[in-house]
Amino acid sequence: MKEDIRRIKDAAIAEIDAAPGPDALESIRIKYLGRKGIITELFKKMSSVPAEERPHLGSLINEVKDEVTCALASKTKAVSGYEEEHAEKIDVTLPGVPVRAGKIHPLTKTIDEICGLFISLGFRVVEGPEIETEHYNFETLNIPLEHPSRDAFDTFYLSREKRYLLRSHTSPVQTRFMEKNSPPFSIIVPGKVFRPDATDASHSFMFHQVEGLVVGEKVRFSDLKGILEIFARQMFGRNTRMRFRPSFFPFTEPSAEVDISCILCGGREFTAKRCSMCGGKGWLEILGAGMVNPKVFEAVGYDTERVTGFAFGMGVERIAILKYGITDIRLFFENDIRFLRQF
Amino acid sequence: MRISYDWLKKYVDVKLSAEKLADLLTMGGLSVESIEKFGNDYILEIEITANRPDWLSIIGVAREVAAMTGARLEIPAVTQQHRSPSNKKAKAVFIKVEDKKLCPRYTARLITDIKVAPSPAWLKARLEAVGLRSVNNIVDIINFCLFETGEPMHAFDFDKIAGGQIIVRKARSGEKITVIEGAEKTLDESVLVIADSDKPIAIAGVMGGLNTEVTESTKNILLEAAFFDPISIRRTCRKLGISTESSYRFERGVDPENIVCASYRALGLILELAGGQPGEFTDINYSQTQKRIIDLRPEKVNAVLGIDIPVERMKKILISLGIGIPMESKSRLSLQVPSFRNDLRYEIDIVEEISRIFGYQNIPSTIPSIVEQPVRMEKELLLRGSVRSAIAGAGCDEIITYSLLSRKSVASAGLAPQALVDIENPLTSEQEVMRPSLIPGMLGAMARNMNRKLKDLKLFEIGNIYLKKPGGEYSEKNHLCVGIAGTSFAHWASSSRQADFFELKGILERLFAWLGIREAAFQQTRHESFALAECASIEIGGRPIGVMGKLATRVLTSFDIKEAVYLAEMNLEELFKYVPVEKRFEELPRYPSVWRDISIIVAKETVNADILSIMKKTAGALLKDAYLIDRYSGKQVPEGKVSLTYRLEYQDPTRTLEEKYISDIHSKVLHSLEERFGAKLR
Repeated sequence: MKEDIRRIKDAAIAEIDAAPGPDALESIRIKYLGRKGIITELFKKMSSVPAEERPHLGSLINEVKDEVTCALASKTKAVSGYEEEHAEKIDVTLPGVPVRAGKIHPLTKTIDEICGLFISLGFRVVEGPEIETEHYNFETLNIPLEHPSRDAFDTFYLSREKRYLLRSHTSPVQTRFMEKNSPPFSIIVPGKVFRPDATDASHSFMFHQVEGLVVGEKVRFSDLKGILEIFARQMFGRNTRMRFRPSFFPFTEPSAEVDISCILCGGREFTAKRCSMCGGKGWLEILGAGMVNPKVFEAVGYDTERVTGFAFGMGVERIAILKYGITDIRLFFENDIRFLRQF
Repeated sequence: MRISYDWLKKYVDVKLSAEKLADLLTMGGLSVESIEKFGNDYILEIEITANRPDWLSIIGVAREVAAMTGARLEIPAVTQQHRSPSNKKAKAVFIKVEDKKLCPRYTARLITDIKVAPSPAWLKARLEAVGLRSVNNIVDIINFCLFETGEPMHAFDFDKIAGGQIIVRKARSGEKITVIEGAEKTLDESVLVIADSDKPIAIAGVMGGLNTEVTESTKNILLEAAFFDPISIRRTCRKLGISTESSYRFERGVDPENIVCASYRALGLILELAGGQPGEFTDINYSQTQKRIIDLRPEKVNAVLGIDIPVERMKKILISLGIGIPMESKSRLSLQVPSFRNDLRYEIDIVEEISRIFGYQNIPSTIPSIVEQPVRMEKELLLRGSVRSAIAGAGCDEIITYSLLSRKSVASAGLAPQALVDIENPLTSEQEVMRPSLIPGMLGAMARNMNRKLKDLKLFEIGNIYLKKPGGEYSEKNHLCVGIAGTSFAHWASSSRQADFFELKGILERLFAWLGIREAAFQQTRHESFALAECASIEIGGRPIGVMGKLATRVLTSFDIKEAVYLAEMNLEELFKYVPVEKRFEELPRYPSVWRDISIIVAKETVNADILSIMKKTAGALLKDAYLIDRYSGKQVPEGKVSLTYRLEYQDPTRTLEEKYISDIHSKVLHSLEERFGAKLR
């Protein structure tokens, strides 16, 4: 019996040594250690062995079993390492399986960026209707009928008779919001606006604006400057400077036209002469702003002695054009995927 | 407006270079758009805001420069020595103002025996600098005075005025006048005209008539200086499609007090350059200009601006602007506004004046205190962002198309013309109506890309559609449109895929899963835009919220599209009603699921949704999920039949499911499928 066991062991070890790969090793495992394997069978034969020899033989068989198991394990390890090392190499430069993500329109991205920035400054995003009335688009904003101040707001009409129109700016949302809410508040209003302008590289009859309105008991012109300067630096870079010039809007008083230092030449005096972006001015006009005209507050029944506020409005296309260096406003609405996928 | 630097220097002692002056003006609210070298002069192109008609003159700009720099203002002295002329030939002209409202002030003076001739070089140069062509000395003087004083005037050839009299009246309907530029204009009762005894000789404040134009042979002229109602002038210009240097100023409001002065200034120049004898000056004045007084609280100025300007500084600024301070108390200044500043009416207007001259750049920057808002943004806005991420994440590029369309493209898309919102004043036929659907815009974008040979299009748009409600009101609704076409690009490790109904449906299902909407269903339907065989209504909680399918060939052809396009459109406001507001955690199942596949052969027409509903009904709550994993019809399947394989997931939250128990249920499921659909187990 002992001899048999030794022979079995030697044969198993020899087979393991000679085995060429993992498949052969698995057959060897089954042959010796499987449910009906040679070594497994040895245990079953124990019953026919005289009782006094059983402990000795038993431990011998266990030793053999361990030895064979060990040999199998180390050979398996060796073989697999060899196989992996000699496996055919893949071409890692082949393209990956495409999982294409679509792109968000550059105007949406710009609106999201502007709104996100103001949300972080405590603003709330509010929207309003695109189909408006003369009342909200003009009258409550102190833009009288048949006044030259309306020239800047050429408007598409749906019904002159019933005074319905497409809003020519996002400012009507100011009044709509104030009618339903009390100060203090800070809101930001993104949206589409419409003006019957002939379309060319820099004009579109439909475009987007973002409007801001802050109303409270002690809101000052200096606050307007502070907030917009943060906006300019966050949007266009830390070194962006801002310039406020007196201007006129019927719904703000005092009013300002706001410029940023040219984002291409930095508005430096000597290089500016050659700058293709600012044309040598050193400044880029980006928004209109001002303190809310008390007339606008009167229209919504606010106490003009108690509250003050500031408002600002900017063209989203203009900001996106500056930010991305886009050359033609029509590209935004042509929706060529080669354009859309750049952003 | 073009301002000559050299001309400006005649009235104000500027010591600044043209560039520095341009900067100063820009920072004072007179936005200088360009500086152009013009011989030895510089021309500043200035954009003048609608509230400052007083800046539409060299003197007005000079006044501002004086206020900003402290330099002295020198307005040319006007000699009024001709107040009582002894001209026997030129008696007072008969003038009648019929409409006092539209013409509150009308002045005229006859000047006889003038000599019309070319202008001297200096006058020609001045006009040329501001972009005007020299005509003759009389016309040039009128134009010169318009630019200098901002007061538009007019000179008539007096001998051509029938009856020698002036009637300021409304035109008669159908009355015609040929204006100096040569065009004949037909008038109506809304137009104010200057007429003689039988015909209009000028459109008041806008343009003179050819019939009384000053020509080389003119001997006697009538010099008009007046104030016309701004709104009436504006209406006339719009109606007749004319805008002139005169009307531009009248529309914005000229200084009524300056009329007499301007008239004398012109007279002086005429006598100097064309000779002649002045007649009597007629001034018909119905205007009631009262002194405007505004109370200013210096404290308010500082409160609004966020600064501390001393009262003395404020007073200095006000005086420099020609604003008088007739009275003042400790907390209040009483201000008298000059007649040329019609824009100053309220305290806040004065606050602006002080801040403007003080300089916006000298106001500090502060940060307002943050006020807590009830919400960061409305639910709808947040969800819209979420939809955008989900759809873009499914590989679709966002597009933005015009909200205005041609009637034709609406019809081409198979959409009904009812309830369309019309634009009354479109510039082109591309802007006739508001879009009733996002479909035409989507197809337009697809066609444009296909024309440029761009393949594999997956696009989406989120935007409003607009409809007319029965009562004449309008509604706008936020919609989502997704469109796919072409072949997703071939890859070496996988086959390319042609866009089809189910790819599009997969994108929508991804969206619903993303939003947590469970009740979505698709029902066969008919829609004019879509192919009959592949069209479904999208329903949530049993309510249709949109439509999807393959576009009808007829529609594609009219958009010049040659390949199949699949498109879905839905109302986002409706969709959002089904988005669970708050997500609640559900305990993870403690016992494992068991999966069983079922393969059956059924008639081809059998509807998947029906099979699933029978399965669910039969297996009850233990059937956690069931879905189709294979669909095959071919050699091994009899004609008219289809082989379907479903994977069913069973789970009991309270215990481990026993083999025998599941087998029981599973065979019940099979049995019911046999019964209901004649299904045969494969």
